[in-house]
Amino acid sequence: MAVSLRESVDKISDPGNLDASVKEVFQLMLGAECERTPASGEAESESVTAVVGFGGALSGACVLRCGNRAAMEMATLMTGMEFHEIDDTVKDGIGEICNMLAGAWKGKVPGLAAQCGLSVPAVITGRDYRLHVQAPEFQLQHAYRFEGRRFDVTIVCDGLR
Amino acid sequence: MSEVRALIVDDSSVMRKIIERCLRQAGLDTLVVLEAGNGVEALEVLRTAKVDLILTDINMPSMDGLELVRQIGAQDLARSVPVVMITTESCEEHVKQAIQAGARGYIRKPFTAQQVKERVLPLLHAARAGA
Repeated sequence: MAVSLRESVDKISDPGNLDASVKEVFQLMLGAECERTPASGEAESESVTAVVGFGGALSGACVLRCGNRAAMEMATLMTGMEFHEIDDTVKDGIGEICNMLAGAWKGKVPGLAAQCGLSVPAVITGRDYRLHVQAPEFQLQHAYRFEGRRFDVTIVCDGLR
Repeated sequence: MSEVRALIVDDSSVMRKIIERCLRQAGLDTLVVLEAGNGVEALEVLRTAKVDLILTDINMPSMDGLELVRQIGAQDLARSVPVVMITTESCEEHVKQAIQAGARGYIRKPFTAQQVKERVLPLLHAARAGA
């Protein structure tokens, strides 16, 4: 029987769940330690953004955004290959990291994983674009640093039942 | 172990490579890998090739991993071959669905090479012992 997630909104929006999910994915799949870092206005204009949608009892998205160099570094750590441009393998790798972040994050709250599905990842590349969600229920936006590179992860929830 | 033919099904080519690397690290030196990007492609492979092991994602376009496992049973393709789900979906309900569909193992992403070894090798040995 479906249970209302509204009563668990404090647990769902706990910032610690996102930090734990990011650390877990980076340790296990990239072999890299990563730490939360203060948000910074500085950003490479050329960036890669992966988006995995949430559907079901919680609707929204998990968004991973990083500069091109950080994206290539992540792909190198995943595959052991060297990259000099944002090719399909890099985009595929970033999408898969975002997918695992979304899965790990929703798995942290009992009841959420079963009632919330994931979309396949979409990856956007380019410059000077913004993601905007009108009046979300809640939003977590954290910056992290690994191997001298930084990236942002956003969980945006625009519907909860 | 003699030659092992593994079908790896995932819409991410990067993830397919990572899974292959984990299988080789598990000591499967004579591994032959066949790849598919979704369930439809996997069924095509299974119609023409013999495999000893299938590792599949769940969330994929065209045909997901659960439907793939059901179709393997329904079409009598590689019915005795162990199927292991490797997926971001981790709740009890998804595990139950996978087992009911016919999967014999379940690995949650993110995973370690050791986890792949511990889940896959016993299934391979059991399948070979029963063959």
